[in-house]
Parts: sequence; C-alpha cells; structure tokens
Amino acid sequence: MREALRQNRNVVIVGLIGLGIFALLPLFGLSGFAYRTLTSMFLLIVTAQGWNLIGGYTGYAAFGNVAFFGLGAYATGILMYRHGWSFLPTILVGGLVAAGYAALIGLPVLRLRGHYFAIATLGVAEATREIVAWWTPVTDGAAGISLPFLKPITLAQNFFYYLALGMVIFGAFLTWFIIRRKLGYSWIAIRADEDAAKMLGINTTVSKVIAYALTAFLVGIAGSVYAYYNSFIAPEEVFKIDRTLQAILAVVLGGAGTIAGPIAGGVLFQLVSTFLIFSKPFGIDLGQFHVTIMGIFIVLVIIFTPRGVIDLVTRSAREARRVHADQAGGRRSTWTFLKDGARATRLILAQNRQQFKI
Amino acid sequence: MSHNEIILTTERAGKTFGGLAAVSKVDLTLRRGDVIGLIGPNGAGKTTFVNIITGMLPISAGKVTYRGQDITGWPAYRVARLGIARTFQVVKPFRNMTVRENVAVGAMYGAGGARRSTREALRRADEVLEFVGLLDQRERHAEQLTLAWLKRLELAKALAMEPEVLFLDEVMAGLNPKEIEAAMDLVRQINQRGITLLIIEHVMKAIIGVCQNVFVLHYGQKLAEGRPEEVLRDPKVIEAYLGKKYAEQLEARDAEN
Repeated sequence: MREALRQNRNVVIVGLIGLGIFALLPLFGLSGFAYRTLTSMFLLIVTAQGWNLIGGYTGYAAFGNVAFFGLGAYATGILMYRHGWSFLPTILVGGLVAAGYAALIGLPVLRLRGHYFAIATLGVAEATREIVAWWTPVTDGAAGISLPFLKPITLAQNFFYYLALGMVIFGAFLTWFIIRRKLGYSWIAIRADEDAAKMLGINTTVSKVIAYALTAFLVGIAGSVYAYYNSFIAPEEVFKIDRTLQAILAVVLGGAGTIAGPIAGGVLFQLVSTFLIFSKPFGIDLGQFHVTIMGIFIVLVIIFTPRGVIDLVTRSAREARRVHADQAGGRRSTWTFLKDGARATRLILAQNRQQFKI
Repeated sequence: MSHNEIILTTERAGKTFGGLAAVSKVDLTLRRGDVIGLIGPNGAGKTTFVNIITGMLPISAGKVTYRGQDITGWPAYRVARLGIARTFQVVKPFRNMTVRENVAVGAMYGAGGARRSTREALRRADEVLEFVGLLDQRERHAEQLTLAWLKRLELAKALAMEPEVLFLDEVMAGLNPKEIEAAMDLVRQINQRGITLLIIEHVMKAIIGVCQNVFVLHYGQKLAEGRPEEVLRDPKVIEAYLGKKYAEQLEARDAEN
C-alpha cells in the first residue's frame, strides 16, 4: 500500500515537472512551427486520452472515434458561423453533442464484442461523415465551413497552446478521478471478463455507455478546439480516419489503461512523426518515407515493449528499487539507481523480444 | 431443516439451444440454510441450469422465484445485487487487478455494494480474504496465482457480495485431496454463516461430506432427489452417472459401520 502511494507520488512529480516545462516553454520564445506542432500534439493527446477510456480501460477497440472529433468540430463551426456564438461555450456543446451521440450509438453497438465492435464503430464514423457531407443546409456540405481568425497571431498562438495544454490536464484529471472510483473498477473488470463483471453485480451496459460517452466528450472537445484553431473544417478533413488511428497508436505506444500512457505516447508519436517529416539528415528527405518509417517504428515498439513505454519505465524503476533495497546499507546515489534502471530496461527489452514469436 | 423458509424455487425451468433442450421442466426448492448438491454426468445441464437462474443466459421456459419475488429473466447484474452469487467452473479472475481489488469489486457491486464506498469495499475485501485464507496474497496480481488459489479467489469474490444464496460450480475440480479437505471446511463455514448453498461437484466425497440433499440432473431433467446416501444408491443414478464401483464402495462402508 505504501509502495503504491510512493509510486503514485513519483508519477505525480514527473507529471508536474512535465507540465511545468510545457507551461513555461512559450516564455522562452517558440517559433510558429513549434507552436503548431505542440498544440497539435496536445490535441492528439486529448483524443488519445479519450480513446484510452473505452479502448484502454474498458477494452473495447473503438475504431470510429473520429466521428466524435468531427461532431465537436462541426458543433463549434455551426454555432460560431451561423449563430454567432462566442468560442468558449461551443467547446462544451461540442463535447456534449459528441457524448450524446456516443450514448445513442453505444446502446446497440456496445453489445458487440471484439472485431465486430471495431468494424461497427468504423462504419458509424463513415456514415456520420457522409451525413455531415450531404446535410448541406446545416453544414454547407463538402465545401466546409470557414471560421473567423483569432487575432493578433501571438494571442492566438498562446491562447490555443494553453487551452490545449489545459485540456490535456483535464483529460488526465478526469481519468484519475474515475479510475479510483466504482465506475473505474467496473471498466477494468469488464476488460478482464465481462461475464464475471455481470455476475458480481455490474450493470455492464451502463458502465460501457458511460465510458463511451466520456470518450466521445474528450474527443469532441478536441474537435471543437481544432475547428477554431484551424479556422476551416470540411468533412474529409475532420472525419479523416487517420485521427482515430493516431489516437490509438499514441495510447498503444504509451501504454493502454494507464493515466500517463496517452500523454507519453502522444509526445512520442508527435516527436517522431514531426522529425520524420521535417528533418533532412544527411540531405535525405525522410518526408516521402514518413508513413513507412513510422510503421516500422510502431512495429518495433510493439515487439520490444508491448505494454507501452510507461510500462517499461515503471517496471525498470521497480526493478531498480528492488536492487537498491537488497543492497541495504549501500550508498543509494541517484547515479547507481539510474544505472540499475538502465540495466533493468535492457533486460526487459531483451525478454520482450524473446517472447515475441510470429 | 425442512421447516426453514423457502428462499429460491424454480418451476418447470427450461433452456433450449435451437431445438436441443439443455434443461427442461426442472423444479427445485432451496430453503434457507440448505446445502444441496447438484450432480449429473457431463453435459447434464448443471451449469446451464445455474446460468438460467442467475441470468447469465436467458431462460426459455418456466419461472424462478427468489424470496417470493418473480425474478424470471432478470439480467445477471440485478440477480447478483439481489443476493444471489455464483462462482464459475472455469475461473474468471480479473487478471489485470490485484487479488484484493478482485474481491473489492464484489463488495462494491454485490448485494451490499450500494451503500459502500470504494475504500470500504477494499476493507471488506480484506475481511473476506482473511476468511478464505488469501489475505497474504492480496497484493499479488490474479494472474500469478495457482489454480487452488484462483478457486478460492472465485469464492472470495462471491462472498464479498454478501449473498444469501451461493452457487458453487465445481470449486473443487482440479484440487488435490488436501486442498479438497480445506475447501470442504470452507464450504461448511460459509453455510454456518447462514448462506444457502447449491453445489455442483464431481468430487463425490465432497458431496457426501457437506450436502444434506442431492439433486440429480440427467439430459437436462431431474432424475432423482434426496439424501446423498440414498440417491447415490439409486439404480437409475448409478446407471446414468456413477457406475457400479462407487455404489459398491458405499455399501462396503455401510457394512463396516
């Protein structure tokens, strides 16, 4: 118990340091490119945090989350463009519209399991895009909606940067708040064995629908902010399946069913992706191989650390602590601790690689 | 104990899969404090029978009554919250949780769950784990336990729900003789706490050791019901299920006494 508390404390400390760095970064001057990259990264993390609730904790591989992103974006777009709303309240509406939609389609779709659920959600997302594209009187159809720019540009940069960062914090807090409560236990139980969960008295339908609606809320508010941030939305753009896949990859890279997983995975994904597109090592333009190299990178991560990088870090730290506890009376310098951690990491990577068989 | 109040009954309960009747027209009466053995050859419909009572499978015909209330066709979670718990023949631990958390889920959502916070549920889990002798395993992950411990964990999860009726589906299968003795003790203690038990079991020693009555299913229908010694000597039952060998052992034991 005390051990668990101490590990939690460490996670909180690391989280606060990370938060501090990102919060202070703009004060040292960021290029427009850096602003865009980091703001996109925060929005990606929020969509990943959303997917983590239904896919990571509850174990339902949803492949249609982009529908919620698109609905959030269109809620903001329509309310600002047609009804002259100011931006901030539209975020809430975007989240709620997405959540309501998720609850509605979740009732039938969440009866399916495994591949069937995945394919059904994929289908719902495609259908949603088509509806938005054809419902011209409200959505302006395939032509899309242009939103006003927020000016001046430095204000816009900082506004969206801190807003998106705040949403990441909100997503992490929401996850933390729920998973220590009965609802969180019910999700983890459903992921492990849905029949056993029912038999213990869990209303699995209600638990799953709430998980899906909260997922949609997070993805929806990310879509809302994206709409104003990008100043233009169109069905092909905001309903692109890539957004679903990126969120899933971020969660898988970081660690599904953990609070830190989507954050770590989102940072990792965005950094590697941006590096591949824009850097030109030895004069080679990697951009054209972006998707290929990204794919190889993901395969490698899954081979070497199938439970995500967060799992690798926590297991290494636990192992290093165990080694230190064994060397009672020895000097516990940070340096030797890190060395033990690195040794544990190498060991775990090697073990994972050996366990991976095709 | 036949003077005790009736707690659960099934009337002509049935379950069909397609055209096949897995369970048909089964009448069962459980009285408070009973320990009833449910036996029958493999495929006799024992687990299916429990599944239709507990709502794991939709019932096809008949009626289930719990404490005077018609609960036919209720979903599993509502039956569970009412005070009917079960274990699974193939253990179903939450592998991604610790032993303690596994049990706490039962305490959170079972019959006593509504009035309990997460923290109280974890405390309740400790009490139950102590009772079943798993307290020193509580911080381990369920995936690290041996089968005997996993069977106990199943039991602990069900007990944490504070059930009045508990169905045990082969909690002793796969255990060694020493573990079976321990499990029998545990079953008796559970019964002493006032919990009514229906036990599906192939370990006849356990059935004879703990059950007042046995109920025999064969091809989904009731074949016999009565005191273990009598039922197990019934030619119909022997033919259906036990083979002559066990009957002879029983007779030999009776001759000694």
